[in-house]
Amino acid sequence: MFSEEQSTRVLEIGNYSAGYAGKLFAHAGCDVVRIEPEHRKACWVSSRAMDLFLHHDKRRVRTFDRELIANLANKADVVLVDGESADEVLAIGFESWQTAIKVAITPFGMTAILALGGYTNLMGDPDRAPLTLPGHYVDFQSGGYAYTAASSCLLGRHKDTIDIGMLEVIMSLSQFTTVMWTCAQTVRSRHGNDFWSVVPTTLFRCKDGWVYINIVPGFWDPFTTCLDLPELTLDPRFLTNDLRMKNRDALHEIIADVFIQWSRSEIQQRAEVARIPLGAVLSFPEVLNDPHLNERSMWQRINYNDGDSVLSPRPPFVMSAIKRDVLALSEPKDAMDG
Amino acid sequence: MAKGPLENVRILDLTHVWAGPLATRILGDLGAQILKVEPPMGRGPQVYPTVPLGGFIGGVPGDEPWNVNAVFVKLMRNKKSLALNLKTETGRSAFLELVAVCDVVIENFSARAMVGLRLDYEHLKQVNPQIIHVAMPGYGLSGPYSERVAFGPTVEPMSGLTSVMGYSADEPRATAMAIPDPTSAVNAAAAVVTALRLREQTGEGQLVEMSLHESATSYAGPWLIDTQLGHEPERIGNRHPKLAPHGIYPCEGEDDWVAIGCRTDSEYRALCDIGDLPLDRGWTLEDRLANQNVLDEAIVKWTRTLPHESVVDSLCDANVPTGKVLDTAGMLVNPHSISRGFFVPLEKGTPMPGNPIKMDAISSEDWEPCPKLGEHNEQVLSEWLDYEPDQIQTLYDDGVIVNRPPR
Repeated sequence: MFSEEQSTRVLEIGNYSAGYAGKLFAHAGCDVVRIEPEHRKACWVSSRAMDLFLHHDKRRVRTFDRELIANLANKADVVLVDGESADEVLAIGFESWQTAIKVAITPFGMTAILALGGYTNLMGDPDRAPLTLPGHYVDFQSGGYAYTAASSCLLGRHKDTIDIGMLEVIMSLSQFTTVMWTCAQTVRSRHGNDFWSVVPTTLFRCKDGWVYINIVPGFWDPFTTCLDLPELTLDPRFLTNDLRMKNRDALHEIIADVFIQWSRSEIQQRAEVARIPLGAVLSFPEVLNDPHLNERSMWQRINYNDGDSVLSPRPPFVMSAIKRDVLALSEPKDAMDG
Repeated sequence: MAKGPLENVRILDLTHVWAGPLATRILGDLGAQILKVEPPMGRGPQVYPTVPLGGFIGGVPGDEPWNVNAVFVKLMRNKKSLALNLKTETGRSAFLELVAVCDVVIENFSARAMVGLRLDYEHLKQVNPQIIHVAMPGYGLSGPYSERVAFGPTVEPMSGLTSVMGYSADEPRATAMAIPDPTSAVNAAAAVVTALRLREQTGEGQLVEMSLHESATSYAGPWLIDTQLGHEPERIGNRHPKLAPHGIYPCEGEDDWVAIGCRTDSEYRALCDIGDLPLDRGWTLEDRLANQNVLDEAIVKWTRTLPHESVVDSLCDANVPTGKVLDTAGMLVNPHSISRGFFVPLEKGTPMPGNPIKMDAISSEDWEPCPKLGEHNEQVLSEWLDYEPDQIQTLYDDGVIVNRPPR
């Protein structure tokens, strides 16, 4: 049985993937109860920061009692569990719960063997170690898939068990990498900041930082005016993307010499006038002060600790039907406290 | 078409490039009826001037190269195709008739495009007050950057990610993978189901905004909050702020690497034993974090003398988290992926990335491959809108619908 829509009950057990899925359910107005995990997975930030980001607007319970967890699971419409392995998920009783919609998120799926997923190999410099993606992107992507699948089941009044393998989430993150191999017989390789197939597309140093440009062929002519070097459109070395790839080093040198004389804001202004895609490398304090994000009400205040508060980015989708300006983070309670 | 919990949902898909088409592919895999409304030249011209980056399905362009561009095809399974020119009054009018019988319109044009076509939410809701319009412009529909040109790679550094990614403090690196695109895709799919569930409660449609910029910024949330708590994140290469050792280490072969990370003291001790590393087995996490250069030096000295299989196998046997850094070719023959059937030979036998969501209600056995341009023109116009054959022929004659790119 599903509970009434207004009070969809979601039980969340785990770390960052289940936490992100639970955050989206809380954002959608569901009643989310979180069981704090016995062991916290290592986090890229402080535990407090992660709690504030993921667990506001949830009730948080601390218990390791399997029977109590099973009772809570059986009363929920959706259970979200993530674990280090399928065994870990099964050990808390996942298979025996009667919940209509059960979601398990594990690094390698419920039919686990160990492997890694082809993404890291593409990041970093060609003559140095590949670079891993910092932060919790794959956790959150997995949580996003979990939320979408479970919400689809709620919408279709469909009962199911959903298995999400994070390895497969990683493998679904690439745009042309797989077909480049299967259809064009080319193994994509890593090239530092350079997107490689479209030139110029890379990071350049400027007077006060760095900017990234992505000049697909249609933007080449306006880009040369942005540089104040319109004569480049006639330069035989750079007439086509193929030629620009061939003469990449020479072109990068020309651009680098120009950009180093300008600040990020000067370059950005020129890019806007020329209507070319360009983004400045921003620090986190700069992101928090970004005028565009501020004007678009990107930040939600989260109250915690009886008086402290921080600003958190709201979920990325803006809906007129969901408006909550101030959120709250509750401290976890022992199950006996109710 | 694919079966699944969303099979009663009809979505008009105006998206292009990556983020939008991936979002609708996710929804199509869950059973939604996706109608790709494509401009007549949306797949390129009749003759391709160059081989596209991802090549052609089957390896050759054939007679209809626009239908076998692999990058496009990869994102188009489980969709119907209506090749309709929205810039004509008749095409626009037909589109609005479709809006009246559909649940969702999703697009990732620039902020001004739908307004220019007079197909923005204000116009859509006049023909269907319950319609959900998901708009995915790079920087959103409002604000000082809304007119900027946005691609995933240029939006990424504006989220703060580049400020923490790279080899060292003075060596920032972008992913060069346009990561805001796939994150936006997943968030857009989440937005669609959220809006549909809200509509069940309220009976009302709505405009949903889902920008690349805000998607990327949202995922940086933990760092943004930690910054306010006084913790300034650093650019630390392949290290982890709370695990040591943690890195990517060279093996014997050329460009052959393994990732190793120890979460516990016991995993660290097992690593030391297996590699016979000249390290203090009694080091705590604090000790290890303080001696990362020493750890890395010892591990590199061990791994670089061995083939990666030897390193990975021995560490896996001892439950030390590790894995080979796979390239694309390796990814496709990875026994784990094969055993889970992740890659699906849907398009002329070409393996395509599958769906990370596994559940009983959905199966790749139901999937349909990428349709040809305009393949469902007649079917959709007659079955969804009751158009008569002569009406449809007139649309062909006037170039409002096509089934091959115009010359």
